[in-house]
Amino acid sequence: MDYKAVIIGGSAGSFQVITKIIASLPENYSLPVILCLHRLKHVRSGFVEALSIKSKMPILEPNDKDPIKAGKIYLAPANYHMYVELGNRFTLSTEDVVNHSRPSIDLSFSSASYNYKRKLVGIILSGANKDGALGLKAVNDSGGLTIVQDPSDCQVPTMTQAAISATEVDHVYNTRKIIEFLLNLDS
Amino acid sequence: MINNLGIVDTKKIIAAIHESFGLDLKDYNLTTLKKRFSHLLFYFNAPIIDDFILDIKSNNFNKDEFIDQLMIDSTELFRDPSFWRELRENYLPDITSTVGSKIWLAGVSSGEEIYSLMILLRESGLRDKIRVEVSCPSTKRIERIRNGGFYDMKKMEVGDANYVRFAGDGDLKKHYTVEGTKAIMDTTLLNGVEFNTMNVSQENPSKGYRIIVFRNILIQYNLPLYEKVVRKLTQNITVGGHLMIGNKETLEHSEVGKRMQLVNDIEKIYRKRFD
Repeated sequence: MDYKAVIIGGSAGSFQVITKIIASLPENYSLPVILCLHRLKHVRSGFVEALSIKSKMPILEPNDKDPIKAGKIYLAPANYHMYVELGNRFTLSTEDVVNHSRPSIDLSFSSASYNYKRKLVGIILSGANKDGALGLKAVNDSGGLTIVQDPSDCQVPTMTQAAISATEVDHVYNTRKIIEFLLNLDS
Repeated sequence: MINNLGIVDTKKIIAAIHESFGLDLKDYNLTTLKKRFSHLLFYFNAPIIDDFILDIKSNNFNKDEFIDQLMIDSTELFRDPSFWRELRENYLPDITSTVGSKIWLAGVSSGEEIYSLMILLRESGLRDKIRVEVSCPSTKRIERIRNGGFYDMKKMEVGDANYVRFAGDGDLKKHYTVEGTKAIMDTTLLNGVEFNTMNVSQENPSKGYRIIVFRNILIQYNLPLYEKVVRKLTQNITVGGHLMIGNKETLEHSEVGKRMQLVNDIEKIYRKRFD
């Protein structure tokens, strides 16, 4: 399958997993990697820097309307929802919080699934609420590939369990298997 | 969820709104519109999309209420406290030294931006030194803002916390009273503020603003409309004046935006270099 993007959602307990994943990806990874992670709304700086320490790929918090390019990691900025819009660009939004969250994983995943259809890989990691469950269902409904971190591998399993309840997921993987899968996607 | 509404239905709703209310949304970005329309379907209890479209065409909705519900409550009091500090310390002192300087909040929705500005001006003693204009396309919203905003107390907790980050100390509560679950702002803060219903994406503003604040509104437009609005805004700023947009917005994708120099990358403040 010829995928066009990977989107990853996570919350409490996902930081270490994300760090391991992005540390494993090569500098010129062949897909864009979109991260929607729950974060403090009023803290705008520091997150990209913390993630970048071990990453070989450049990590950016996109501005509104920025084009989405392979080989880059995009992190949803604080206090905005982040959508993938037609034309393969990001759109940001300040609409109400969803699942107590802005950015909301459900909204990022749903918009990405609408635009990439079956050419999207959606991954839900550790987290303490159910944001992301409907988003992953949208990825599945559009024919995309769905992966959930094994709840027994999660620091906080609520988010992954909610995703598994909401939709039939393709793979339940621990961190090591998720990394292997993503490296195999690289062309 | 936003995927339930297909592109064909979304376009039909856009056409019906244009026909009945004269409001042209075709160049607003699609994901946001789909989400707003889903909200309208829920709000007006309209499970059947074709019936909803027919109701719009038959003028069965009150236009003011419809537009009120369509708009995004895009902000909170003192959203991005560092922006308001920057405005107070590095931009307002300069423009308030010139008599008759104008600042324009060009796209207000819920009114928290105007209350934030007016609190800042009152506390800095600068209120009488500047003309303040506000545009908001909904008369219903202007009325609500003028009557004190009626903000949810839950949201005011965010405003209170933002204010402390903005001011360093003090208490936002001196600027509002609480009635039930709502906060009513001190309406004397708005004394002398000039309100109008202009929608800058569809109408032509007047010239000569030293500062235009237009935060987190360009994000609602597609690229052609974004370009058109950036052009209008830049045309109406005096040379040396400033355009202030949201901290994750940029003029980089705009041709006409090249006339503007980015002078603060963190808060996204641009200075007009030439006409």
